[in-house]
This record gives sequence, structure tokens and C-alpha cells, in this order.
Amino acid sequence: MAGKNVVRINEGSLQHWLLRCLGVAIIALVVLWIPTKMETARIGQVSDAFVLIIAAMSLNLVLGFTGQISIGHSAFFGIGGYTAAILIKDYGWSPGYTFYVAAALAFLVGCLIALPALRIRGVYLALVTLAVAVLFPTLVKWKKLAWLTGGAKGIDSARYSELPVWPILGELKGRDGRAVFGYWLAFIVLVVTYLVCRGVVKSRFGRSLVAIRDNETAAAVMGVNLTTTKVLVFGISASLCSLAGVLATLRTGVVTPEGQYVTLLGSIVFLLIMIVGGAGTLWGPIVGGLVYVWLDNTTRGFGSNSDGVIGFLFGWADQSPATLILGLGLILIMFLAPYGLVGLIKKITVRFLVIIPKPAGRSVVQVAGDQ
Amino acid sequence: MERLFQYIFDGLSFGAIYALLALGLVVVFRGTGHLNFAQGEMAMFCTFLVWQYNAWGVPLILAVILGMVTGFAMGAGVEVSLVRGVSKKSQSGVFVVSIAIFLGLNSLAAMIWGNLPPEQMKSLFPDKPTDFVRIFGAVWRYEYIGVLVVALGLMGLLFLLFAKTKFGLAMRSVASNPESARLSGIPTGVVLASSWGIAGAMGALSGTVVGGIVGELTAGLMFTVFIYASASATLGGFDSPGGAVIAGLTIGVGEQLAAGYFPGWIGQELKLAIALITIFAVLMFKPAGLFGSTKVERV
Repeated sequence: MAGKNVVRINEGSLQHWLLRCLGVAIIALVVLWIPTKMETARIGQVSDAFVLIIAAMSLNLVLGFTGQISIGHSAFFGIGGYTAAILIKDYGWSPGYTFYVAAALAFLVGCLIALPALRIRGVYLALVTLAVAVLFPTLVKWKKLAWLTGGAKGIDSARYSELPVWPILGELKGRDGRAVFGYWLAFIVLVVTYLVCRGVVKSRFGRSLVAIRDNETAAAVMGVNLTTTKVLVFGISASLCSLAGVLATLRTGVVTPEGQYVTLLGSIVFLLIMIVGGAGTLWGPIVGGLVYVWLDNTTRGFGSNSDGVIGFLFGWADQSPATLILGLGLILIMFLAPYGLVGLIKKITVRFLVIIPKPAGRSVVQVAGDQ
Repeated sequence: MERLFQYIFDGLSFGAIYALLALGLVVVFRGTGHLNFAQGEMAMFCTFLVWQYNAWGVPLILAVILGMVTGFAMGAGVEVSLVRGVSKKSQSGVFVVSIAIFLGLNSLAAMIWGNLPPEQMKSLFPDKPTDFVRIFGAVWRYEYIGVLVVALGLMGLLFLLFAKTKFGLAMRSVASNPESARLSGIPTGVVLASSWGIAGAMGALSGTVVGGIVGELTAGLMFTVFIYASASATLGGFDSPGGAVIAGLTIGVGEQLAAGYFPGWIGQELKLAIALITIFAVLMFKPAGLFGSTKVERV
């Protein structure tokens, strides 16, 4: 399969480390470039993308790595958003601390929702999680809970009343300052989420997740405790997803039961991002989220006032074709790159560059020596 | 007493609507083992088509039949062009494709018919304010009775199809073991395409019925109905058409009773929640629904 001009690099060699450093340097440059050089609206869009990436990463743990279908993650997102809004508005908390409360609360709810997942598989699990996604907005809207959640109107102006001063950023003021601050806040949470996911996936726990995904019965036979593993992964995933919800609330200051990612449609968007980027890969949600936000913002404006080819194609439409294009794109991805964009990139790079993994034998020798 | 009957009648009729759409889900699942997330949106799209045919001057009954034919073509077309190719590549792919169709059709309907005036969708059944029958003092409207009759009739037809015809036998064998079915000379492709087609046609019918009762057509027409329908299919067991209908009717009656007798606590806004929580509880004890068959795996 591999051609003649393939570069082969050993894992852990000098070249491999240089390559890694190059990757990190490029990412660092882009991350620094966005808030300093881009326009405020664009910075906001990137922050939105970060929020969605965090949610998709959390879903990836449950669906991509453990193989448990969940279309209920919008509820966890909503729990985060509402917890933040209620604590800030009603109890006067400083927004920063709401992250911890939201994460803890969502962890508990996630563990609770994992209980059906212990018995229910496949389609039935998909529909139980769908029920969760539908339940959350109805409960929040419920008039008996309106004293807490604000009913159908939701809660507004729950955001930083004054931006805290951070050492490197200095004092930020006005709309531009808010955008830059929101960007860095989202970026920090994104990095934390990525590190948590990476830590989970590369650990013994992560390998038991993949074992469950590939064959649940076999995993149980090999000694994986299905109950603890599933409950824990749902809990971790839910608390990560709630962080995205908190960020979304802090960005707009508003939560409503019909909010963009609080309803079932939110779950669909998270799923879509994960699939487009590549399910079961650490970088998949990142690529997927950026592509999604870019595509959404580009196609949103297509319609009767566009000109050229786009005007010819969509000039007749009563509404923006953004969602249609998204659907078509999703189908295209499923046919051309069933493992997502990251899968596609890997497939292409393998033709030029192969990283040979370290042989796994050494640790066995050590174990033998210990005895 | 009058109230009780009223709630039961209303519940049966709404339940029949859920059951109609749930039957479509069950047919696809039985045939191919896939959850068609786009079932509701396909139904919604076909309903718009029925309205469009009707607006072009086709009589309503003919328009409905035409809509069902279009629905069949749409379902079969989706299976042949999209589902078949993707299911070879990845198992969860079909679910994702059905989500893509869900998004695409929803958006397409809004693009084509988004700025319609709130047009009255005509009902298939007599729906003048005076068209009702009184049983024990409770009002039962003809159009609600019509829905119930259509759903029960379709269930009977499906039962005959599955149990008594050669085609039904072929469908069952394809569902249980596609490889052996193909080896014994069953045209698996045709069978799979037709189960999606049948689901599409049934969707068109249920959409038209819902549209007739609601009156106004929007792209979100079938969204809530789809959630109820999937709840019915889950409760009844995804591979049992009879289960879907019984579960649909039970959910319909149950939610009417709950909402009617506890207006303060449950009422209209929380009845869906109650239905879903009950299903949750049932699934904990019977993970494959009430009438579904449990899958036994060999390692």
C-alpha cells in the first residue's frame, strides 16, 4: 500500500519530537493570531466554535469511544447553562465558580442517566436519550419550576458584570474586550476538556471503553466492570458538556428553554460535529467544530439577495438553505470519509509519512524481570 | 363519567396518530434493523406535497394516494441510493444518514413552502363543527374516529402482509438473516427497498391526517408526533407492529387522563414528560419494550 517515497519515523525519535513541536508551534500561532488580528465578530464565531467543540468532545467520549448512542447531550448542555444563569442572577455568584457547580451537578445527572444504559442497548438507548433531550426543555418550562428557571422566558443578563483582570491580558473593556476575554475563557476550558479526554482515552479506563464499544460481552468476560465504566463515562461526559453550557451562557448572558443548543437540535449538532470531524478520535471534534461553524456562517446568508451561482441556485428559496447544505454535506462525508475528516487526513498522510510506533515488548520484559 | 369517556376518546384518536407513524418506524426496523430518524420529516414533506397536489386541482383523495405513491418512491429511493451504500461502510452510518435526511427535508420544506399564507389543510374526514357523535355524553368528532379507523385498518393490513403473504415471509427472512435469505433466492434488495417504501407511504398518510387536524402546515408539523411515535415504538417493542399500535393508544389515553385529571400538576405542558418517564420505567424492567423480542447474542 505504501509507496516508495514514504518517510518513516520512529515514535519517540528526534524527528518525531521535532514534528510534534512544529505542530504545537503552528497551533499556538493560530490561537494567538485569532484574538489579536481578527475582527470582533469573527472572534465571537471562533468562541462559538470552541463551545461546540467542547460539547462534541464530551459526546465523543460516550459515543465515539464507548459506542453508547446518546442524543441527550443537549440536556447536559442546558444543565450547565441554567446552573450558571441561576447562580449568577439569583445568588450573585461570580461566574467563574459556576463552572465547578455545573460540572458536579451534571456529573450526578449523567451517572443517573447512565443507569438505563446498563440494561438498554442500540435503538432503545438512542430513544431513551432522545427522551432526555425532550424532557429537559419541558421541565425547565414547567410553571411549577418557574420560580427557579424563569419559565418560558428563561433568564437573561447572567454574565460578567465586570470583566476580571487577568495578568497577561491586562484590563479589557467594551465589546471588543468582552470578545477577547470570552475567547480566552473558552480556549482555557477547551484545553482542559481536551486534556481530560486525552487522559481518559489513553488510560486503562479508556481502553476498557473501547473494549465495550467493540464487543460488550467480550469486554465483560475480559474483566471490564460494565456498570462502573458506563456510569463513570456518562458522568464525565455530562460534566464536560455542562462546561460548554456555562460558556454559552456567559457569552450571551441568556438561557431559554428554546435556546439554540438546549433542545434536541443541539444534540443533533453535537453529533454532527463529532461525525464530520471523526468519531473516536481526539482531534475529530476540533476539526468538525471549526468546519461546522465556518460552513454555518458562510451558508446562513445564502438566499434571495445573493448573486452569481449562489443566487441562481438558492434565489427562489423562502428561507436560508444552510441546513439543507449541512445535510447534504453530512451525507457526502458518510460516503467519502466514513471515519470523518480526521480519518481522511490520516488516510492521506499515511502515503507520505508513517510513524512507526514503539514496540510494546519492553514492558513485558520488565514485568518478567520483576518476578 | 362523561369526562372519563371524553378523555378516552380523545386519547384513542391521538394515540392512533402516534401509532400510524410508529408503524412506519417498526416496518423499517423489522426489515433492515435501522432506526429511521427521518420518518417524521419524510411524512411532513409528503404532507406538503399532498397539499400542493390538492392546490393544483387534484381532488383530495387522489392527492393523498398520489402523496402516498410519492412517499413510497421517496422511502425506496432513500434506501437504494443512500442507506444501502452507507450500511456496508459503517453500522451507525445509517442513523447519521437519516439525521442528515431529517435536516435536509426540514430545511427544503421551509425553503419551498416557508412563506405560505397560513393555508387550511383540508381534512380527509368531515370536520365541520357539527360533525360529531355523542357517546355517553362525550363528544367524538368524525375526523378523530376516522383517524382511529385508518390506524386500525392499516395495522390489520400490515398484519396480513407480514403473516399471510409470501412478501411478508420474505421480509421476515431478510430481517432475520440477510445472507441466507439471499442464498435461498429472495430478492433482498427489492424487499429492503419496499420496507422503506411502505414506511414512506404510511408516513404520507399519517402526515396528511395530522395536517388535516392541525389545519396549518409548517416544517415542524411532525416533530412532536415523531417523538410520541418513537416513544410508542420503544414501549411496544421495535419489532412488533401490534405492540406499536397498542403502545401508541395506551400513551394517547394515558396522557389525556393524566393531563385531564391533574390539570394543575401535569396539564398540557407536562403530559409528554409523564409519558416519557413512564416509558423509562418500563424499559428498566423490559429493555426490549413490552412486546419486542430480546436479542440473544452468542460470543
